[in-house]
Amino acid sequence: MSELERTLLRRLRDRDERAFRELIESHRDRVYNLTYRMLGSRSEAEDIAQEVFITVFKTIETFREESKFSTWLYRVTVNHCKNRIKYLARRHDRERDELDETSHETNGAAGAPLRHVPPDRALEGAQLEQLLQDAIAKLDDDHRVVVVLRDVEDLSIEEICEITGLPDGTVKSRLHRARLALRKRLQRHV
Amino acid sequence: MSEPSPPADPEDPDDAIAVALSDYLDGALPAEARAEVERKIAGDPAWQRAHAELTRTRQVLSGLRKAPAPSSFVDGVAETIHRRSAGRFFARRALGDRVPFGVLLAIAVAGFAVIAYVLWSSPTGSLKVDRDGAAPHGSAAIAPP
Repeated sequence: MSELERTLLRRLRDRDERAFRELIESHRDRVYNLTYRMLGSRSEAEDIAQEVFITVFKTIETFREESKFSTWLYRVTVNHCKNRIKYLARRHDRERDELDETSHETNGAAGAPLRHVPPDRALEGAQLEQLLQDAIAKLDDDHRVVVVLRDVEDLSIEEICEITGLPDGTVKSRLHRARLALRKRLQRHV
Repeated sequence: MSEPSPPADPEDPDDAIAVALSDYLDGALPAEARAEVERKIAGDPAWQRAHAELTRTRQVLSGLRKAPAPSSFVDGVAETIHRRSAGRFFARRALGDRVPFGVLLAIAVAGFAVIAYVLWSSPTGSLKVDRDGAAPHGSAAIAPP
């Protein structure tokens, strides 16, 4: 950990508001991107990214500096995302129970079905991104975490093990399954 | 909502290929296994196809645009913390943290100037130079014994 980071942490523990602002400025895009890719909705991502930083501020005393600060931040982010995914799943189930299935249209991105795209058609830009985002949202949260951290955020397997607290073999096997699932869902389009 | 991802089935040749290729693309295979995978990619159409699809899937994943946080994000977080803690979360800041140093310096210089002027203009001011060598006002009242 650099001296600069240590100084920032000391100021954070002193609840220096400027230090909090500096911390958010330097990590906000990374946290927001991860929450967005995990949740698939900008408003959900913004809410959860906010909650991540609030949790960091409230629990900064518990950060022992045994890992990199960014690893700890990713861990907090992943935990918030998984909780949110579970909450959205429960809410989605309740709504599905309450509404007539024939008239029900999901509009939550995490639960949205893959959009109908003609097969064997070359996809570009935003369309491909949306298709991919939908395919990621279809993965269960354990698989979604590892594939987003590895293939979207480009973290190493070791870093993912540290963030998730999972052994190397479990991370790799989840990664295989996630990629396999994505490949099967996207193979007609990419 | 999300659904369980299909487990990689070691009996399914397609899944077995994907698992090996996934390790291969992560650089997680020892040299011998790596060479074996490369041989299969070169000679087996099923491996070639799976390799191309998996590579492309990883490419599009890593090519996803970075979604930047909204510009108001920092203020939003700070405002939420202030609101939830009723302003008690952050430590009280010293005056120097809230007011720029230049402003504080200008105020200090102006203050000194006012004090100096008051002392100078006062008839008993200690800054006044006694050019005539006269004793300060009031000192003559004390006569030597």
